[in-house]
Amino acid sequence: MTETIQNAQQNIYKPAIMKIVARHDEAPGVKTMRLEFQDPADHEQFKKTFRTGMFGLYGVYGEGESTFCVASPETRNEYIECTFRQSGRVTSALANADVGDLVTFRGPYGNRFPIEQFHGKNLLFISGGIALPPTRSVIWSCLDQREKFGKVTIVYGARTVADLVYKHELDEWQERPDVDLVLTVDPGGESPDWKYRIGFVPTVLEEAAPSPDNCIAVICGPPIMIKFTLISLKKLGFDEKNVYTTLENRMKCGVGKCGRCNVGSVYVCKEGPVFTAEEVSRMPAADL
Amino acid sequence: MTRILFSDKLDQCVAKWRSAGITVIGPVQGESLSTYAAVEKASDFAFGIVLPDRSLKELFFPQTEPMLRYTIKKNEIETTDFAPPAAPRIIFGARPCDASGLAIDDPLFGWDYKDEYWFKRRNESVIVTIACTESDDFCMCTSLKHSPDSTKGSDVLLRPLDKNRGWVVEELTDRGREAFALISEEIKESDETALPTAEVPEKFNLDTCVTWLQNPVNFDSKFWKEISMRCIGCASCTYLCPTCHCFDIQDEGDTYSGIRRKNWDSCSFALFTMHTSGHNPRATQSARWRQRIMHKFNYFPGKFSVNSCSGCGRCSRQCPVDMGITETLQEISKL
Repeated sequence: MTETIQNAQQNIYKPAIMKIVARHDEAPGVKTMRLEFQDPADHEQFKKTFRTGMFGLYGVYGEGESTFCVASPETRNEYIECTFRQSGRVTSALANADVGDLVTFRGPYGNRFPIEQFHGKNLLFISGGIALPPTRSVIWSCLDQREKFGKVTIVYGARTVADLVYKHELDEWQERPDVDLVLTVDPGGESPDWKYRIGFVPTVLEEAAPSPDNCIAVICGPPIMIKFTLISLKKLGFDEKNVYTTLENRMKCGVGKCGRCNVGSVYVCKEGPVFTAEEVSRMPAADL
Repeated sequence: MTRILFSDKLDQCVAKWRSAGITVIGPVQGESLSTYAAVEKASDFAFGIVLPDRSLKELFFPQTEPMLRYTIKKNEIETTDFAPPAAPRIIFGARPCDASGLAIDDPLFGWDYKDEYWFKRRNESVIVTIACTESDDFCMCTSLKHSPDSTKGSDVLLRPLDKNRGWVVEELTDRGREAFALISEEIKESDETALPTAEVPEKFNLDTCVTWLQNPVNFDSKFWKEISMRCIGCASCTYLCPTCHCFDIQDEGDTYSGIRRKNWDSCSFALFTMHTSGHNPRATQSARWRQRIMHKFNYFPGKFSVNSCSGCGRCSRQCPVDMGITETLQEISKL
């Protein structure tokens, strides 16, 4: 092996510096930040590499780095948006940062949703709670080139009305004639003026009964939602090969070295985070 | 005729290498544990040690290592790289299992993204391995299809003569030949023969174990719970392992300045995989031990065509509860 060692070019652990240009409260504890690259070279590299589905490590020096998806679409690569729930050291530091503050970003890493393969097909997006951000990146990547896809259906649910994220965009999708949005909240999570559905995502999905014909499903949510939604999709006749999801495991390096994101033999950071339901079914369930 | 380096010339070799600006490193007896460390003269070496307690990996992938220094002033972040030290080194007296360990991890540190902290050190180091003429009860290189005179990862292989008089020299790579060109005057032609290598009995049949591990049904076997019942999750096995490479990245400092470090981590720890939500994919010690064994003998070879184990036996030798890879694979081969 010694002979084939290549000379190292750069420090792969050095992040890009980003400026927060906008921040928005989505739901209790959940925020969206829009970040802009400070170094044009970093930005060029990002524009060249980023495709929807990829993730990054967002950081605040002194606290560390946290892994989440790039929530903005590949069709809008002048900036990066990330949406996160404040829960640990890094996300607390990010949440406390203000417009104009500097944070860091390492990435984009991982594989992507192969949306060119979805051209001419109907799209069904299913998402729960804080898992809308990765789905939203794909949704906008497709809606920004709407003519290339068939019918677009979005099923989105959260525990309560307050927990729905991207509320302004939900309104926009609700009004678009070329998007069919099915909104739901868990029983008991509705507000007096809630005029959409009440029920768990899998149930609501089965009621909406989208046709599996020529349709690609993209699902993202908490493990329990994924588990039951996959059962519902099977009932509706979807082939596991046409169902895509994204895994979010704990990561430190993001580049296949630190060893913690493995599920069975799969390095989620390099072979994922995007997988078909068929690929996920081959992974050891106990390791997920 | 063979080429011999006699022990009484070693002092001169060390001096020549050192005067050429090369750091000479070898097995030494530390205050508590034996390890590989810099030497100044031949008498500093502890060649009598069957295998240093600490592995060679830490000279390439240290326990903790600064990667970046950050300074934050008003609206500016200044980041400075800590380049890994790129001084030439000769590791004289590496054991074959330790040298193999380095070669095993090369593809991991180099797939797509190259970790310069690893590769700069790799590129600056000449590995001079001494074949083993003695082994202990824990050595298991032969079970892993390595051997006491395995050349994997070595630039030069030395085979000991009797009575510690010196070594037969086999240069394996250009890098090794270059390093030994500096001491060509100290090397003599002779018809001496080296001692036979140590006899390391095979402790388990690797192929049987791998076949069992590759069968998906056995992922959920109750064997994992039984074998790892006594594991206390101390991570000694992973820290001393010449191929375990998992790490954590942590910041040391405050909001204004500090250092970002890469630290050893271990799949034995519960926090290793814990999600923010509290969900932990490997919530039990048995799931974590299964991961370690599966990773070494099923997943890693699936990716890089080599087992992530060179058979040094440190995991068993140093385990406080007597369960290492040997014990586990011995049990698996009986299943």
